[in-house]
Amino acid sequence: MSDLDDFKATYFDECSELLTELEEQFAAIEAGERTPDRLNAVFRAIHSIKGGGGAFGFAELVAFAHAYETLLDHVRDGRIELSGPVTTLCIRANDIVADFVNAAKTGASLGPAYGDVERHQFDALTSGNAPGGEADAEAPMEDFDIDFVPVMVDLGAAAPAAPEPAEDSFASAPLTVEKGHWEIRFAPHSELYARANDPLLLFRELANFGELTVVARLTDIPPLADFEPFGIYCTWELTLVSPTASAEAIAEVFEFVEGNCELSIAQLPSRAAPAPEPSLAELAQLVAPAAPPDSPALSFAELAETVKQEMPARPAAPAPAPAPAIKLVEAEPAAIADEHEERRAGPEERRNAGVQSIRVDLDKVDRVVNMVGELVITQSMLSQQMDDTLRARYQELVRGLEVLAQTTRGLQDAVMAIRAQPVKSVFSRMPRLVRELATRTGKKIKLETIGEATEIDKTVIEQLSDPLTHMIRNSADHGIEAPDKRLRLGKPEIGTIRLSAEQAGGNILIAVEDDGGGINRERVLQVACDKGIVAADTTPTDEQIDQLIFAPGFSTAEAVSDISGRGVGMDVVLSNIKKIGGSVHVKSRSGQGTRMTLRLPLTLAVLDVMLVKVGPSPYVIPLSSIVETIQCSRADFGRAPSGAKVLRVRGEYVQVVDLSERFQLRGDAELANRFVVLCEAEGGVKIALVVDDIIGQQQVVIKSLEENFESIDGIAGGTILGDGNVALIVDVQGLKASNSLHKNAA
Amino acid sequence: MESLALKDDYGTGAQVNAQNSLQLIAFSIGEQTYGVEITTVREIRAWNGATPLPNTREYVRGVINLRGTIVPIFDLRARFGEGQTSPTKNHVVVVMSVGDKWVGILVDAVSDILTVSKDEIHNVPEGNSMDTELLNGIVTHDSRMVGLIDLHAVVSGAKVDS
Repeated sequence: MSDLDDFKATYFDECSELLTELEEQFAAIEAGERTPDRLNAVFRAIHSIKGGGGAFGFAELVAFAHAYETLLDHVRDGRIELSGPVTTLCIRANDIVADFVNAAKTGASLGPAYGDVERHQFDALTSGNAPGGEADAEAPMEDFDIDFVPVMVDLGAAAPAAPEPAEDSFASAPLTVEKGHWEIRFAPHSELYARANDPLLLFRELANFGELTVVARLTDIPPLADFEPFGIYCTWELTLVSPTASAEAIAEVFEFVEGNCELSIAQLPSRAAPAPEPSLAELAQLVAPAAPPDSPALSFAELAETVKQEMPARPAAPAPAPAPAIKLVEAEPAAIADEHEERRAGPEERRNAGVQSIRVDLDKVDRVVNMVGELVITQSMLSQQMDDTLRARYQELVRGLEVLAQTTRGLQDAVMAIRAQPVKSVFSRMPRLVRELATRTGKKIKLETIGEATEIDKTVIEQLSDPLTHMIRNSADHGIEAPDKRLRLGKPEIGTIRLSAEQAGGNILIAVEDDGGGINRERVLQVACDKGIVAADTTPTDEQIDQLIFAPGFSTAEAVSDISGRGVGMDVVLSNIKKIGGSVHVKSRSGQGTRMTLRLPLTLAVLDVMLVKVGPSPYVIPLSSIVETIQCSRADFGRAPSGAKVLRVRGEYVQVVDLSERFQLRGDAELANRFVVLCEAEGGVKIALVVDDIIGQQQVVIKSLEENFESIDGIAGGTILGDGNVALIVDVQGLKASNSLHKNAA
Repeated sequence: MESLALKDDYGTGAQVNAQNSLQLIAFSIGEQTYGVEITTVREIRAWNGATPLPNTREYVRGVINLRGTIVPIFDLRARFGEGQTSPTKNHVVVVMSVGDKWVGILVDAVSDILTVSKDEIHNVPEGNSMDTELLNGIVTHDSRMVGLIDLHAVVSGAKVDS
């Protein structure tokens, strides 16, 4: 892979994150949270997508994103109100941006006119609002070149209390010279920063005296090649208008940095209020745009003077450069507004910076997970080596081992947390799906999501997207009725699909629930009989009928549409979920709706198990499948007509598998001392495993047997115990299947 | 003198040159000596028990933990149909790579590293199907017969089909 491909891959990764972010922001905006923060986030996301797209030459994407961005800019400025229709248009635009990103990724073409309708809508919205000057205002901002830009720092606006319009604060303050007009030059040395002084704090203190204007002089910034990271290239000129301030008082502000900076404080003579001052924008037009870097910087007052002298030259075309070439690049309104925004967003921005993420190859994380697993095992091995004599003799060692135990546990949790991700990353893709489905089926559907913050292992999350898509499609297509039918039935016109996630013990439950018509059992059974999925003469229970929708090739749709009907969807759900060790349950009430629940393991890497003994060997049974354990002496065994052992528990007969028989391991324990472990396999079917002894509970790291050997019936894998020995993991589901096979054969 | 001594170390008249020679790890099962190419050997370790695997042939002694990986152990004596080894701490597991898998072979002892010429590899005499199946060839070293183990054959068919 070339570097460029790498960059592209990263760009697309980022795009999908940004698009997710867009969905989230608009979900909140739709819910009524129209805060500037959200709009800024949206703006940033689109801007990032556009920027990256431009770098890779995705012209269509960039063109659309640019138009969209312009709209957002107007919305942000308050020129366009973020009303319902505009929000809808934005959401639609997000989808189109996603399509463009996808097309760019796959190299597909969306056709030349794709997105044009929306683009025209943007234009219609923005053209009505934008005064001519505004459009131009954007250009210099993009060419913003830091080398030649003295920056205006307006402290009044920086104070959180007064987010007043930027222009105002500038128009009034600096040029109206009255009494108590001070000019301060401040050039810090590097020691000043080395002693952790912050000029901003000094300026804030000065601002307490009165009206303060700060101009940063950046003329000393060398070419990038000569740039020293810790070099000091910035000096400031401050103008303080304060009737009360004295030279002493001002000097006192700089007391702590005395000797670490060059400081000059001078009072300018008071003058009468000058005639109407030219606005800053006019000022900027007047002064020459560039100056030799060594030209002496001028104070604001001098500048104002110069400008006034130049005034007569107006309105003639741009005056020749004023004699003392002044370099002042106007901090034009848009830029100032931007700066204000950044300030306001400041604290949050900084917080975000603190929790910034890095991109790490999942393989690398897995390697860490594995090694931590080994560490945990080694640690418990060490602990087990400590007998009482050693404990008494080496107390320091004991303490060390205890700390080690704590640290390794902490490390394990931390590593697992790295792999865990909120389900939000999958859930946030669903609103778009629902919108599309609603459009295509002509139904009105709203999606509710609950528990988006629930965290699951990354691998599980990756496997979740397809099943959820199919389940939601199923709900939209088969569950939710058409609006007129819903009204006839006395239901709200808009159907609801609720997507929820919650943690239940060692499992995550993810449910897709709709308030549609429920499963039409008669029809399902009919179709299943027709397709030969079930024998015609059987009478399955309601639950069994509901499960039929997961059979491969099953579909009740009369015609194959682009949404459903091929009979693959729900089959995919079941097989994907099984693959990651989960299960699917359906619950349906006729006329009221259907609820499909996915039960998923929290993580694939670590398993909570019960450690048991079968013959001489240790085995582990996943805790998630265990219902209860019973002593054999108290268990109520019976014999089925076939001679197979059954267990009666709470009025239910459960098949019994004696693991030492099944695994051909000679156990010498007496039956009465052995244990029954009652397990629940998929679909709620129970199976009773007889083991020789129960040793305890622990967490284990799953290791594959296939890596160096092959899979074995009834064994789901292996794991390494604290003593370094290998224990095998009982495959409850597999045992149940092979046992019923055995029974059928007999 | 030195060069002569070195030559002697190479052993009985083997016309050894780098391209045409084979280095073997030789190990014994009872009186019999077998060898595998040295490049396949990853590790030699003392027998320290193994967790038995259900539903496997008797020559699969189980699995061990090799620094976090589960590695199956094959009992070579049992593989040759001579009954299971009763392993002690003095028995040896030779860990080898077969394809992309790692497996351990339980043997009585590791005896030597041999250098033999490829020309000296004889075909396994027809007759006993187990011999022809499990051996790639036979070489003579110090007038001892050394069977070259076909690792792929040894580790195949280990599962009992239920």
